[in-house]
Amino acid sequence: MNRATSLKISISGVRGIVGESLTPQLIASFAQAFGTYLGQGRVIVGQDSRISGTMVKKAVLSGLLSVGCQPIDIGICPIPSIQILTKETKAIGGIAVTASHNPKEWNGLKFINKDGLFLNYYQMEEFLDIYHQGEFSLVEVDKYKNPKFEKNPTELHLRKLLSYFNVDIIGQKKFKVVIDCCNGAGAVLAPHFLKALGCQVTLINALPDGSFAHHPEPVPENIAKLCRTVIEKKADIGFVQDADADRLAIVNEKGEPIGEELTLILAAKHVLSRNPGIIVVNLSTSQAIDDIAKEFNVPVIRTKIGEINVVEQILTQQERVAIGGEGNGGVILPDIHPCRDSFTAMGLILEYMACSGKTISELQKEIPKYYIIKDKIRGTPEQAHQIIRQLKRKYMSKGEISLIDGLKIKFKDYWIHLRPSNTEPIIRLIAEAKSREKAEKIVWQFKKQISEILKWK
Amino acid sequence: MGKFEMLICKFTLKFIKIQKGFSMKLLKIGISGVRGIVGETITPELVMNFACAFGTYLNSKPVLVARDTRISGPMLHSACLSALISTGCDVLDLGICPTPILQYMVKKFKAEGAISISAGHNDSKWNALTFINREGTYLNVFQGEEVLDIYHLGIFTKISSDKLGKIKSVDNYLDVYFENLSKFLDAESIRKANLKVVIDPCNGAGAKIIDLFCQYLNCKLIPLNNEPNGYFPHDPEPRPRNAQEVASIIKIIKADVGFLLNSDVSRVSIVAEDGETLSEEYTFPLIANYYLKKNPGTIVTNHSTSKMIEDVAKENNCPVVKTKVGQSYSIHSLISEDGVIAGEGSGGIAIAEFQPAFDGFLAMGLVLEMIVKRKKKISQLIKELPKYHIIKQKIYCPPTKVHSVVNEVKKLYLNQKIDCSDGVKVEINNGWIHVRASATEPMIRVIVEDKSKERAREKAEEVINFISLLVK
Repeated sequence: MNRATSLKISISGVRGIVGESLTPQLIASFAQAFGTYLGQGRVIVGQDSRISGTMVKKAVLSGLLSVGCQPIDIGICPIPSIQILTKETKAIGGIAVTASHNPKEWNGLKFINKDGLFLNYYQMEEFLDIYHQGEFSLVEVDKYKNPKFEKNPTELHLRKLLSYFNVDIIGQKKFKVVIDCCNGAGAVLAPHFLKALGCQVTLINALPDGSFAHHPEPVPENIAKLCRTVIEKKADIGFVQDADADRLAIVNEKGEPIGEELTLILAAKHVLSRNPGIIVVNLSTSQAIDDIAKEFNVPVIRTKIGEINVVEQILTQQERVAIGGEGNGGVILPDIHPCRDSFTAMGLILEYMACSGKTISELQKEIPKYYIIKDKIRGTPEQAHQIIRQLKRKYMSKGEISLIDGLKIKFKDYWIHLRPSNTEPIIRLIAEAKSREKAEKIVWQFKKQISEILKWK
Repeated sequence: MGKFEMLICKFTLKFIKIQKGFSMKLLKIGISGVRGIVGETITPELVMNFACAFGTYLNSKPVLVARDTRISGPMLHSACLSALISTGCDVLDLGICPTPILQYMVKKFKAEGAISISAGHNDSKWNALTFINREGTYLNVFQGEEVLDIYHLGIFTKISSDKLGKIKSVDNYLDVYFENLSKFLDAESIRKANLKVVIDPCNGAGAKIIDLFCQYLNCKLIPLNNEPNGYFPHDPEPRPRNAQEVASIIKIIKADVGFLLNSDVSRVSIVAEDGETLSEEYTFPLIANYYLKKNPGTIVTNHSTSKMIEDVAKENNCPVVKTKVGQSYSIHSLISEDGVIAGEGSGGIAIAEFQPAFDGFLAMGLVLEMIVKRKKKISQLIKELPKYHIIKQKIYCPPTKVHSVVNEVKKLYLNQKIDCSDGVKVEINNGWIHVRASATEPMIRVIVEDKSKERAREKAEEVINFISLLVK
């Protein structure tokens, strides 16, 4: 693995490969910097189920203790539960030990503020300044605090979920649900939550031991076993979570993956039917969301890629927002907590099925069909900048241009989005159209134009 | 012995000003570990670097970890565990556990080594890591240097996710230890005697575990400071000035003996049944005088220990081997010399047949056995020992000057025979003077012993005045 890609310190936290860049010393320094940034107080420390979680967590605890913070060790816990616990127990912050959907050699840290939100751009800048300056507020022994352990860290989250959803209506349906937790942190809460909703639950990969039975990204190619089990068990629906349980993908009762794009679309349709408000999504989210918004006559606000950007926009718009999220299966319901939450997503989908009396495949059919194609081409951020400038000029009069994150061009019923990757010297292309052929054709056209610009340079 | 403590206090006041303006941070890296002040030199990074060096040295094999009750314990403990598993070592975590029990368990669990997180007798600002080898002893010089070389090189074994070490919490090990200790002692006789014992573990690692110790030996325990919470009501150093609490109740409740422990139960001092607080110097000769009668053999001690042990050796016709100060030196000499007992004037003793480690439980057990088998009280037993007067004093000195100052002291004793194997040691008439650099603090230690109280005092004043002029 080359050095450039084995450690990533960015706005979304720290990620690295254990045994290469992510050493106990590095982790402890980040924890010390975070404690120095927050001041002395209680800090919630949770982890996803990765094998290296204990190594990383112990280093975090050590770092926090040395700067006078009191770590509350909550063990393996879904990310949204960590965020909610941080806010509700009035901790001064939280650290999630997770590398989200990265492969299992990876681990990392995400930093949570006292409101239970990931640090935003400015907070992250301040925090990283402290890290880089390298001097932390080490305390003397008489200011040391005792670390604590919390055995039931998902309880507050579960209570919030159950008070939001109409448990009676969902319960009457006695849904048969198959859930694939991908040996991730979701396994800690998923069975309890679904049983509390009256579902008959079949669990797959439900041991949170980090063995990751499949790549921890909830996309169709990783969930063959879930599809089979849904058919075998004659289940009403199948769910798959990612390793830290913030994203969700769905398999319908015929055992077909409906595509992670639809998680947010279906959830939004249900929420808007009783609470028509603003929808906040990122630039790459399917235009099906625009069709739904038109149906309910509500605006859609699009943001830069990255969960925190969506959340920040939701906070700016406050109560007027009904729902937000991302096309990757991340549903954000501000009424529960402004964070991506696979449990909220499950609850919304089940409630939608219960209220409408329709099967998931019937609900799926009501959504306009679009095809998304993702691709990439080699190019440095500097080259990406050139390309974007040229293409913008060329397409200014032909489509609707957005420059908030790379270049997005929206045509009548299709769009394309180009942006430099945050982690690799590549340019990502995402296109969506009414048919697969059309989407593929757009991507091919743009790749060709990019190659020409690069050659010409 | 309490009087001598007061004498020492006077000297302390005199020299405390030397500490002023002294700003070098306190960190002592030695062959068997690293010791320093938490928040100054003891940081997560330093602890991790040492633990990584040790894990690298052990070639990713299983290791035991235990700590005492110090408030900073969880910080060092988390750092050690994270670092050790990052080098691929499986960790058997004993939690809060006295060092001698940890050392005993190394062989039982077939571990490759152990880390003890405890600063023994130092106050609560301090903490330390001590490295223990697969025999359950402190690392010897060669092993220690290898670890230090790895530490200084800074290149540690790094293990990928799927091969990281695992942490396993272990319990029930206390019974294993106490069953074996009972077998080693004449537990039957002790149990029958139904002794009454006062123990002050100073809220250290011995807290609560002394309850089990007394259960095994059927003693009635009157505990003081018996909460494993790390709040030290006095310095966790077993010596008369910290023994006032024990001394104040022992006569009233008619206990047979009182004990003071340090924070990791490697050292013990004794309080007699009549309330006399014995110098920690008595622990070793008292036990040796009893143990050598049935098990004669070589005695190992350091240059700073009371001459009492030499008289005991003569009486029992046993040879004495002297080493530098420090558990590692004593124990490795005990092994290489095939000795039977090793001990130091600070209250640590080891019996080769039980385990090669200073062990406070073993020391207490032998004292109890001695009371029962010899059918005598502590106050009678110490009368069998020759009487010496010992003065221990430490003088603050910048670390950069320590050794040169110690060397200068030779000039004071030009016509005497000087032993230079550990600082400067001179034997004069019925006594001796030992001046050496502390291994754990930026200090010069002066120990003077003599048959006569006045002479001891004169000699001490002479050398201390001499040193204080040099330090200024």
